[in-house]
Amino acid sequence: MKSDRTLVVAVAVAAVVSLSAAMAASGQGFVAPGTTKKGPGARTWVAERAKLPPYSPPRMADGKPNLEGRWGGSSSGDDIEETEQVDATTPPWESYVSNPADGRIPYQPWALAERNRHRAGLARGVTGESGERLYTDPQTYCLKSVPRYAQRGFELIQTPGYVTQMLVWGHYHRRIPLDNRSRPGAEAKFWMGVPRGRWDGDTLVVESTNFNGKMWLDSVGNFVSPNVRITERFRLVEASTLDYEVTIDDPGVFTQPWTLSYRLRRQGAGGGGGGAARDPYANEGWEHACHEGNTHHVEGTQRLGFKWFTPVLPPATR
Amino acid sequence: MKPRFLLIAALACLPAALAGQAPPAAYTPPRTPDGHPDLQGVWQVLNTAAWNIQDHNAELDVPAGRGVVVGNAIPYRPEALEKKKQNYADRATLDPERKCWLPGVPRITYMPYPFQIVQQADKVNILYEYNHTLRHIYMNGNPHPEGPIDWWMGDSRGTWDGNTLVVDVVHFTDQTWLDRAGNFHSEQLHVVERYTPTDRDHMLYEVTIEDPKVFTRPWKMSMPLYRRVESEAEVLEYECYAYLIEENWNKR
Repeated sequence: MKSDRTLVVAVAVAAVVSLSAAMAASGQGFVAPGTTKKGPGARTWVAERAKLPPYSPPRMADGKPNLEGRWGGSSSGDDIEETEQVDATTPPWESYVSNPADGRIPYQPWALAERNRHRAGLARGVTGESGERLYTDPQTYCLKSVPRYAQRGFELIQTPGYVTQMLVWGHYHRRIPLDNRSRPGAEAKFWMGVPRGRWDGDTLVVESTNFNGKMWLDSVGNFVSPNVRITERFRLVEASTLDYEVTIDDPGVFTQPWTLSYRLRRQGAGGGGGGAARDPYANEGWEHACHEGNTHHVEGTQRLGFKWFTPVLPPATR
Repeated sequence: MKPRFLLIAALACLPAALAGQAPPAAYTPPRTPDGHPDLQGVWQVLNTAAWNIQDHNAELDVPAGRGVVVGNAIPYRPEALEKKKQNYADRATLDPERKCWLPGVPRITYMPYPFQIVQQADKVNILYEYNHTLRHIYMNGNPHPEGPIDWWMGDSRGTWDGNTLVVDVVHFTDQTWLDRAGNFHSEQLHVVERYTPTDRDHMLYEVTIEDPKVFTRPWKMSMPLYRRVESEAEVLEYECYAYLIEENWNKR
């Protein structure tokens, strides 16, 4: 027992050390919750985007747009409809949903009830909860999916035949082949899905299928089924701005395909910090071991009675 | 689980003990735009080192195999050898792989999962299927950051020696093992890896292990890496801890 406890402490210390080292390396100081300056929501970004002058991106050797670089995060990830209120004095923020125009996810009635059931069972002490401890956000266990991987940003690189995305968070990576290859059979399911990429003019289009449906879209219970097809569009609209649009198509769950719109900023483009000139390690991404120090979250939520989230299938296919 | 073990066992019979025999051939690999040897692609070992890096007979769910340790013997200090034996006896519960932790270097290389090498000007990246492990080998001239640092995968700094990628790795935890047979190291582990392309579809992977707390002298492993030549070969996912947490949850 004693050695177990020592180990947990050692692991936790290692995780903290590496996290703070990574934050120091990326030039980010600690920001208290609620004081983070947020990027625009979908409506603001789509309006701003429409006013941008035409932009011709730099090119790779093969003539394709050069989207390489370290890109900052898409959103807080707390609520993609962003009804977040830090306290009673702050107004709700703007939805990341650009289509439909009302910013609401177009759930079918049964699916909206399901999402609301997830939300009512979060046991966060928020008004409207049922009091039941139902599920916790699966990200609590160091898990990611699409498009939530983009929440804390990624490095994108282009090599012949591939686009690769690499995250510091949880050492995730995504390998996107561009050669129009086949997909695994629908019975093969993956947490991160299976991506296939292509260029549509200057836009990188990535279509992902074969999801297992076990991951939430955000921390408040928004979900998709394992039948979902997710289409991401990446387009450089300014030297340091990547337009990131995500269309979610899951006819068993939603009344129509719907779209999230994000503005991603090139990391280090905001000034401050001094970058690699001041710290030679500023552009390095150091180890973020997540699961290794996470036993307290897993065992804690189990002890509190939360259930493991299982994929939600449309009634017609159950 | 079983079908995978059987498959690996079948494959493992093919390239018997190539390890240590292939001298770096006079092969000139293609170059990246930066002018360095191009090692990119999907790679995997074909051996049984994941179970035991030394020579071993078969057991239930364990294929027999020749080891990857050059000379087969590992120069443990006497007290460390006792610990290795205890690790072996208790491997079903003690092996950190059972907890789905990041497996460290070089263990991750010879686990039965593919990995993809993607090269950039300032670093060589290895994207492993196991636990979506991501490794950056920095080629930017920075030295290892000042320790002590406990990283599961260590800190990797690379240089080119002709066509060979040489990687120096330090700053490990003492919580990872070298295989499922209880071979282990301390936080003083220092690993030097050499990746040498020997023809279009093979690399020689050589490792020097140094750890004065556990071993009386440095020792070596050697094994080939094979390119996955299927036209649609790709790294998929083995989300070890996701499966483990779900299984344990549902057992409660």
